[in-house]
Amino acid sequence: MSFWQQDSHKESKVYAGFRAESSPALQGMTVETRLPDTPTRSRPRSPIVSAEPFFVELDRFQGPLDLLLHLIRAQDIDIFDIPIARITKQFLAAINVGLDDMQLERAGEFLETAASLVRIKAQLLLPRPERLEWEEDPRAELVRRLLEYEHFQDVVHVLQRAEAQRGRHFGKGFVEARPMAVDTRQTLQLTLAELLEAATRIPEAPPPIRVRPPSTGVTVEEKVSLIRRLFEKAKRISFKRLFGPWGTRAHAAAALLAALEMAKQQMIRIEQTVPFAPIWLFSRLPDAADAPDEQQP
Amino acid sequence: MTPEQIVEATLFASQTPLTSAEIARADEGLTTGAVDQAIASLRDAYEAADRAFQIYELGDGYQVLTRPEFAPYLERFDSVPRAPYLSSAALETLAIIVYRQPIGRIEIEEVRGVSATSVLRTLADWELIEVVGRGEGLGRPLLYGTTTRFLDHFGMKDLAELPPPEELPVVLAELQEAFDLGTSGETAPADGAVGVE
Repeated sequence: MSFWQQDSHKESKVYAGFRAESSPALQGMTVETRLPDTPTRSRPRSPIVSAEPFFVELDRFQGPLDLLLHLIRAQDIDIFDIPIARITKQFLAAINVGLDDMQLERAGEFLETAASLVRIKAQLLLPRPERLEWEEDPRAELVRRLLEYEHFQDVVHVLQRAEAQRGRHFGKGFVEARPMAVDTRQTLQLTLAELLEAATRIPEAPPPIRVRPPSTGVTVEEKVSLIRRLFEKAKRISFKRLFGPWGTRAHAAAALLAALEMAKQQMIRIEQTVPFAPIWLFSRLPDAADAPDEQQP
Repeated sequence: MTPEQIVEATLFASQTPLTSAEIARADEGLTTGAVDQAIASLRDAYEAADRAFQIYELGDGYQVLTRPEFAPYLERFDSVPRAPYLSSAALETLAIIVYRQPIGRIEIEEVRGVSATSVLRTLADWELIEVVGRGEGLGRPLLYGTTTRFLDHFGMKDLAELPPPEELPVVLAELQEAFDLGTSGETAPADGAVGVE
């Protein structure tokens, strides 16, 4: 009960902190502003009160139902006759303060309840030509949930008492308190000159890593023509030579595909004597027959 | 060696509650009935001698614990092993589970108005609750119930030590009656639709 003052100025304090203009959900909505127990005409606005709008620490509440129940109980409102407009205003004002810092899921839970409050109000306002026999008060569902929640709050208190009681019994496993940790902190003692000298000994930042510019794409056709060009000068060429100078996987892949394709078309022969040995491409093109051997790269 | 002494030795050496059956394993001559009898006479003896400890019933087991009046002395030692007090969220969730078990996550969330996923995981990690089955509904939801560890944590012999659940709806029903009479009068249904349970 830190913010709901328990004195006779309760109502005025509650309303002094309420900022209707900051509740967009309320704007454009016809709300019931004159409840018999609500000060409407001249809300006392003492400078002290208006200077400190009340803050509901949302962290203190388990959720929207907890907050709602608190608003109702702290103001001695009859739970079976909840002034929805007033409670909605207070609820929105309360969550407005903390909503921005809240986690999305938690905020959603509060907003969902705010929405159902507004819905209930709308249902109450809707003109009904005749009240059906089975129709229940739009607030009934909310009251049911609040009562159920409150019921479990009683259980929580029972459990809390039991837990505290149990905490006063100790079982085996009692051990001596650890010795106090020795304070090993020491004040750093050095002169400015020493500090600066130490600073100069910090090695220079390593040279920036050179980033290879993104390679332009290479096509299998380009590799095929490269192989053809190389075979004009040599009978056999090292596979590595087809991509080595570029050093990228794209070139290696393109070279491999080109070589395989040409081998399939009987244009070249691929040889490797043992696994992991250098791969050699031999030309089977007729015009390369008398070209000299390429030297080992 | 009397049965009392054997039972006393077993309980003295244990850091967790022991059931009668577990204690009876200490000696071929012991039966669970004899163990219960021995514990009763030990309890009387401790009581008569005004010992600082007593044998308490936790869940279905027994454990030697200090009497509560010595807590202020023991609490001065920060290394006394004790269970951390549960958070409000954890207590709230447990309150619902203990009275509604077996119960699924959705039903818990309906009562609390907030998500219960993480708190359920925590409670299960601490072995205060466990999955006791699967519901009939969509996706066969997991149903949770309280454990023996729960009884130990709250110092209970069994769940009957809690206020009987049937008493709580009675209180709520009275409130409900007031609601029916207070606002909607004769238009509100007398049964079913506004009922709590």
